[in-house]
Order: sequence, then C-alpha cells, then structure tokens
Amino acid sequence: MATTGWDEFEIGAMLRTFEGEAGDIAGTLQEDRNYTENSSFTASVADWRIEKPVFNKDFCIDCQFCWVYCPDISIISRDKKMIGIDMDHCKGCGICVEVCPTNPKSLLMFPELADEETEIANWPAKETKEK
Amino acid sequence: MSEMKKIKNLKEFSTSADRFEGANLLCPGCAHSIIVREVLNATNDDLVLAASTGCLEVCTAVYPYTSWDASWIHIGFENGSTAVAGAEAMYKALKTKGRLKQPDRNPKFVAFGGDGASYDIGFQWISGCMERNHDMMYVVLDNEVYANTGGQRSSSTPIGASATTTPAGSISYGETKNKKDMMGIMAAHHIPYAAQVAPNKWKDMVKKIQKGFATEGAVFINAVSPCTTEWKFDPKDTMHLTDLATDSLVFPLYEIIDGHELNITYRPKNVVPVEEYLAAQGRFKHLFKDEYKYLIKEWQERVDANWAYLNRREEARV
Amino acid sequence: MAFDKMELRDIEVWDGNFAAAQALRQCQVDVVSAYPITPSTPIVEGYAKFKSDNYVEGEFVMVESEHAAMSGCIGAAAAGGRVATATSSQGLALMSETLYQASGMRLPIVLNIVNRALAAPLNVNGDHSDMYMVRDSGWIQFDAFCPQEAYDLNFIAFKVAEDHDVRTPAIVNQDGFMTSHTAQGVHTMDDDTAFGFVGEYKPMNDMLDFEHPVTHGVQTEEDWHFEHKARQHNDMMTVVPAKIDAAFAEFEKLTGRKYNQVEQYDMDDADVAVVCMGTSVETAREVAKEMREKGIKAGVVGIRVFRPFPFMAIADALKDVKAVAALDRSAPGGTAGALFNEIAGSLFNTDSKMLLSGYIYGLGGRDLTKKHLVDLYTELQANADAGKLLTKQQQYIGVRGPKLAYL
Repeated sequence: MATTGWDEFEIGAMLRTFEGEAGDIAGTLQEDRNYTENSSFTASVADWRIEKPVFNKDFCIDCQFCWVYCPDISIISRDKKMIGIDMDHCKGCGICVEVCPTNPKSLLMFPELADEETEIANWPAKETKEK
Repeated sequence: MSEMKKIKNLKEFSTSADRFEGANLLCPGCAHSIIVREVLNATNDDLVLAASTGCLEVCTAVYPYTSWDASWIHIGFENGSTAVAGAEAMYKALKTKGRLKQPDRNPKFVAFGGDGASYDIGFQWISGCMERNHDMMYVVLDNEVYANTGGQRSSSTPIGASATTTPAGSISYGETKNKKDMMGIMAAHHIPYAAQVAPNKWKDMVKKIQKGFATEGAVFINAVSPCTTEWKFDPKDTMHLTDLATDSLVFPLYEIIDGHELNITYRPKNVVPVEEYLAAQGRFKHLFKDEYKYLIKEWQERVDANWAYLNRREEARV
Repeated sequence: MAFDKMELRDIEVWDGNFAAAQALRQCQVDVVSAYPITPSTPIVEGYAKFKSDNYVEGEFVMVESEHAAMSGCIGAAAAGGRVATATSSQGLALMSETLYQASGMRLPIVLNIVNRALAAPLNVNGDHSDMYMVRDSGWIQFDAFCPQEAYDLNFIAFKVAEDHDVRTPAIVNQDGFMTSHTAQGVHTMDDDTAFGFVGEYKPMNDMLDFEHPVTHGVQTEEDWHFEHKARQHNDMMTVVPAKIDAAFAEFEKLTGRKYNQVEQYDMDDADVAVVCMGTSVETAREVAKEMREKGIKAGVVGIRVFRPFPFMAIADALKDVKAVAALDRSAPGGTAGALFNEIAGSLFNTDSKMLLSGYIYGLGGRDLTKKHLVDLYTELQANADAGKLLTKQQQYIGVRGPKLAYL
C-alpha cells in the first residue's frame, strides 16, 4: 500500500476492519474473522522484542492472569485454556511472566533468539520458599 | 436492554473474543490497552467508540491500520466525549424515525481519553456530556501526565511528581499542585454512575463497567493507568504498580451512584505504605532525598485523609 | 414515528434565519447540535421549536460551546444521518478546528453561517470576516444574498454535500441582520416537494452500521497525509462544481428559481463591474441600473459559490469588462482582499486587460450606501476611460478619517 496514489483509496481516510459483513464479532474468535489488510491484527510488532516469553504448559494452571493482563492481546486462550502466545503481537513487555502465579512459573522471559525447546527442557525447578 | 454478559470468573472472562487488536503502537507494558480490553470485553453488545487525541488514539489508528473491531471515531484532543454524544444523538434520532439498519442491536457508546484530554483540555466537553446525561460512558485512562506529548504535567499530576514542565531540580521537588478530584466533580453532575477502577482488580472493574452499561444515562469512569514511560518503571511491572496504587489507597476503588451514594468497592487486606508506591517510580525518586522526605509523610497524610473522607461518605449514605 | 406537516403559503414573509430554519425542518434534519450566538441563534431555535411542536423528528442537542456543537455534528454525521447547525463570528472561530476535521473526514454536514464581524473590537453586525476565516477549511461555501436564497441554498447544500461522490460539508452564508433579521417575501415549497428534492439521507461509512465497523479520524503522517488532502482538493476542483450545477438545474426545474455559481446582472455589455457578496449584491444591482441611465454601462457579479471558487466562470464573466472593483467585506490584515486576489488570479494568465481595484467596505455592519457605489462606479468608469488605474489598488470606503488607500 505504500505506493498507493491519492486516487486509490477511500475518501476521508476511512478504514474498515472486516471484509464483508462483520457478523457477531463479540462471538467470533480472531481466527474465524475476515480481517481486511487494514486491521492491525494483520500486522506484526515482533521486531520490537528484545526478550520473548516462553510458555511451558506443564506448569500452567489456566488461571488466565496472563490473558487478562496482557496489553497486546497476545495470550491465546481458547475454551478457558491457555494455549500459547501470539508472537506477531507480543512486544515482550514481560507482564505475563510477572503475573504468572505458578511455581515454577509457566512463562519466563528469554532472549529473542533463544531456542524455545532448549529452554523448556532446561526449565527451572520449583522454588522452595525460604523461611 | 440486552442481557448482561456472564463473567463469573477469570476463566469465563477469558473466553471473550477481543475487539481490540494487537500490533497497535502502544509502549510495551502500557496499561491503556489492558483497561480498554477489560472495558470492551465486559459486553457482547455492539460498540460505538471514540477516543480523544492521546496515546491510545495515536497508537491505534495510524493509517493504514486500525486496531479497532468496532466503529470508532477520533476528532480532536478535547472532544472525544462529544463525538460519541453526537453519535448517540443520531442513534436516538434514527431509532425514533425507524431508520436504524439493525434495529435489534443495543449499542454501547464509549469514549476514551487520557487525563490531559479529560481533566484539562476536554473538561468542558465532558462536563457538557455528563450534564446532558447522554447514554454513554466516558473512560479516563488516567496516567497523570501528558504522556503522548512527552511527559508534561496535567491537572491530574500529583504533588511531587517530576514532569517535563514541572521538573524536579536543585530547588524544585516537581509538581506542586494537588491532583484534581475528577470523580468528585463528575459526581457533582449528579450523573447516574461514576466509578474509579484499576485494571489489576479486573473483577471489580468489569462489574462496574457492566453496571455502567446497564445504566441509562451518562457514566464516568476514572481508570488508573500506570505509565511505564513517564512514571519510569520497568514495563514488566505495570501490574505491580497498579497493585501498589490500589493497595496503598493512592487510588481507592469506589463508585458514586446518582451523585451522592458512595460505595467503597475494594478494601485492601494489607494496606501498603504510600512510600512503597512512590519508591517504585522514577518520577518520585527525588522525594527520597533528605530535604524532601517530609513530602512523603504529607503524601501519606493526604491519602489517609482521603480514605477517611471516602469512608465517612460511605457511612453517611448521603 | 409521525410528525405533522406544516401548511405554508406560497409566499411567506420570513427573515433569513427563519427561512433557514424552515429549510432544516423540511429537510427533516436528524440531529442539530448547536450553541447560540447572535445573529444566527434563531435558526437553531427554530429547529428546536419545530421539534417541540412536532413539525420535525430528530435530536436537538444544545451543547456548551460552538466547538462542541460541531464536534457533536461530526459524531452524529459519522454515525450516519442528516446533520446541520448554525453559527456566527466568534462561534465560528471557536468551531474552526473542527471544520477541518469534518471536511477531512468527508462528513456532509450543513452549517449556516450568519456572517458577522470578528472581534476585537467586539461587534455583532454583519461582515464577511468569519466567512473568509474558514475559506480554506475544505467546506463548500454558498452565499445567500437575501432570505429567499438562504432558504433555497440550504436544500441545495444538503443535496450536494450528501451526494456520495461529494461527501463534503457545506456552508450556507447569509449576512448578519441585513439578511438574517430582515423579513422579505419568500417563495416556499410544500413539505413533500421540499423533502423530495433532498431525498432520504443515504448513509455511507456510517458508524451505526454494525455489520461494517468503520474507523474514522485516523492519523496520517508524511507518508499518507498529502495524498488524502490531495484527494479532498481534487474532488472540490473536479467533482463538486458539476454537482452544484446539477443541483442548481434540478432546483430550477422544481421551483423556477435559477442559481449560478457566478451570478451576473447587467453584465452582457458591461464596461465596468462590481464583484461582491451578500446583501451588497442587491444594492449594487440597483445602483448599476441607475448608472446605466447616466450612460455608464455598469454591471454586477455576485459570488454565489465562494468555495470551490468558480475561477473559470469568473474569468469568463469578466473577460470583456474594462474596469472591475472587488469588494471585500473583511479586513485583509496586511494584503489585498480575498476577492481581489481570487479575481486577479483567475484573470492573470488570460488576455484580459481588465483594470482591477479592490475596496474594503462595510466592516462591522457599516452600511454600504448607494452613494458609495455611485462614486465607485464613477471611479471605475474613469479608470476605464483612462486605460489605467487612477487610484491605488486598494481603498477603504465608508470609513471616517483621512482617505485610506494602498498598493
């Protein structure tokens, strides 16, 4: 679109989110929606990240704290279960790790280029509380 | 009136299909979008949204992208409230005239604005909307500073905060004025519902938002929105800062019904000293110098006095 | 869902404000968001009263400032319906930020401006400084010279603005007090005929269409802004003029009243001509006739459409005239008057050898008398006879004190 001329777009700098009729958007999950190329859903901010969250589902209790406190709609929860991270939209803020209540945490931050499988294989053990 | 969305617990809440999208340009760790998500996800009804100029607006509708899955409008810095009020007036007109395209829908009209847009430049517009009692909700994303323009003080900036126009320096401790009591002012419009909310207390917030949506008439919401950039804390700590804000009672959570009936909705089990809240933010760093420590004491006294005042209001049931 | 029709006589005695209010009623405007200011207030009061008496269905939102008035209009228009308001002078100044937003968002709002001077010093009377202030705001601007035209042009404004190929807001100007508060005979349309001319509002990019969510009012920086503004200008230059002509033609067919972007009176063989706007047109027409009796071939050009400026039509109207006066009813603040500049621009690259002089007149409601115009035409004839300007290019007329002439 960066080469679009003045005569090639809608008047009023108006943008549409969906192709065709939106339907029941509040009842339609993102993967089932028909976004236009103008929805930021179709864009990526992955290159903002220095560190990335890695999710280890072995310890997850599906409390959904990460889902509700994620500023970037990047915690993918389906049917009340946390199933992964949307790495196109995650900016690497680390809130999900901070609010994760499990021990050990089910989410941890690693350098962007770290290998996920390796990190999960070397996941820290449960911390014992010091009295 | 449509049926209220059932949100018993967080698991149930997490089945919401967000109508706000990622790859917006808000800073990592920005509380604005957490608040926006909790507001929008509180209902399944259609939405007509507006934003005043500010961080939320410039980060979510930068051509050719929009992060909004519902109709949304931005006009200027001061008039997000009136934009939605105008849309609400049109809705009423077309309803009367039988010209709504989808007459069976129950849209909710919501405007968002920062504290600069709300406490300062858009104050009169919001006051007008509240006074006229449009069927709308106005949500302040209160980060106590003009963050979008780079950190200038607003009338929401509290005493002692260093802002770029009230910088702490060798002879200055930063902002010298009290934060404006926007909740009090808005409630004084005798609107049906006003509430202060915080995104960490999501259940309290969703309950209030739903109450607001169920209310016919103008609703005012003040949401604390810790700003990683201007409050100067690590982006991962946004929720920690929000916890400190609510649990130190710097941001007490309460509601005011019909301008008089005040209910405190959250009483922290362990009240955190204000000092801890201040210490967690770079904008208050200078207060910990010996010559300014008295300000921390005064801060605590102010917070205590306000809490006592809110409790008296609640007890008095007036 | 039912409102009452109003029985009108064929000719009603209305002032410009009431004529405009009647037009808003007959167009069945859905939302009026307004704030009072003299002399435009009776227009929105009129709508409010019609609503109270069940002669119109819609929402009247009495807001807390003119800025909020237009903000509400923008929200309402984006929601998807017919929207109008009215203001003057200081109110327009406060509103002006939002005018650019309305036009940039391509929202077809109709704004009645009852022209009034801008302070300081404070003044409630008619001049064109408010009209001029917003001339580059991207709004179509019509100018009514009398109450009849204030009535007619409102219908035409809705018709043009709401056209899906146009989608650009429109202003209908009328002179403060001289038109707005002067009652004259106004030929009316019956309610059905009037509404039939503008038709049902056809929504476009409407926020209330929940099946097609839309984002209005985006941010565009250096990579997009220019293209959007270019589009706006292109449509004003290439689409709007033809749509205006079409609306004028249709209106003439319906009512017999003919409008032109550039109104010409006694111009066929004119040697000298006055170009002006508002109520001055009628005064100039009367004087031109009297001058003709004295042997001076005088004519008058009235600017009916101030934006988009009818550049070519003006050039055409003036091409054979020997001396022309551009009458600007606004203090130009350190340059030639706006009409002077527009006319000069329209003729500059033509073969016209026309002598152009500018006159600043009527500020703050100061009368433009017939005597002023007699002197002016006499001056123009002298210029024409001499084949050169005998006066400075810019003169003030009707002001006390030593003669003011510049350039």
